[in-house]
Amino acid sequence: MGIFDKLRKHDEEKPKADFSDVQSGSSTTAAEPARPVPDLPPVTGTTGQSDTYVVVAGDSLSKIAKRYYGDANKWNRIYEANRDQIKNPDLIHPGQRLTIPGA
Amino acid sequence: MHRQKLSLSLCVVLLVVAAGCGRKTDTGGTTGTTGTTGTTTVKVTDVKLGRAIGGDKAISDSTDKFGPNDTIYASVTTDGSAPSTTLRAKWTFEDGQTVDESSRTIAPNNRERTEFHISKPNGWPAGKYKLEVFLNDQSVETKTFEVQAR
Repeated sequence: MGIFDKLRKHDEEKPKADFSDVQSGSSTTAAEPARPVPDLPPVTGTTGQSDTYVVVAGDSLSKIAKRYYGDANKWNRIYEANRDQIKNPDLIHPGQRLTIPGA
Repeated sequence: MHRQKLSLSLCVVLLVVAAGCGRKTDTGGTTGTTGTTGTTTVKVTDVKLGRAIGGDKAISDSTDKFGPNDTIYASVTTDGSAPSTTLRAKWTFEDGQTVDESSRTIAPNNRERTEFHISKPNGWPAGKYKLEVFLNDQSVETKTFEVQAR
């Protein structure tokens, strides 16, 4: 057996370190990503009556319009009905209570 | 006459194109964000190792030499904002043997710090270790450190 064979054999016999008991964790100053809001079926029975909707994370006016009117392009109706609290239609906040005009 | 008609047609086409460019048909904005693309503009700007962290997730006892019973902390600083981005820390020993691998998905807003830590109740084997930090599965930073026998 040559010296290289001996060295190789020595390397092969070297036991691997055991890291099976390693414990790990993490924390952050950043926020958790918003969970995707499942597409809900359109709300029925709102004809002629206004409703109140509380904004949740992931919402947009288009999404709410789609839910209530079945048409995302009707977001402007919700925007117009809530001009007092929506300055920018692209920016609504979780917890906002929006008036949803009847269909 | 023919030239006049051509000019008129050209004007009409330009007006239609200009109107189309300024048109806003939908508001797809989501809560708390001004964009909807989800484009990542986040960078890892610093990775520090140490024995302890503060409440701001910054390393308070920076070192690259640890004892067998130390908890090893890595503080990853990111700059930029994104609705969702994933940081991963891969810890390896000497010849590449994986010690631990963990990830965290965050929604960073400007400068944020995320810490990863590992500990080993039975004590770390002495030797050289490596930490590799991935941002959205792309390796962005590597740090080496050593555990010294006491």
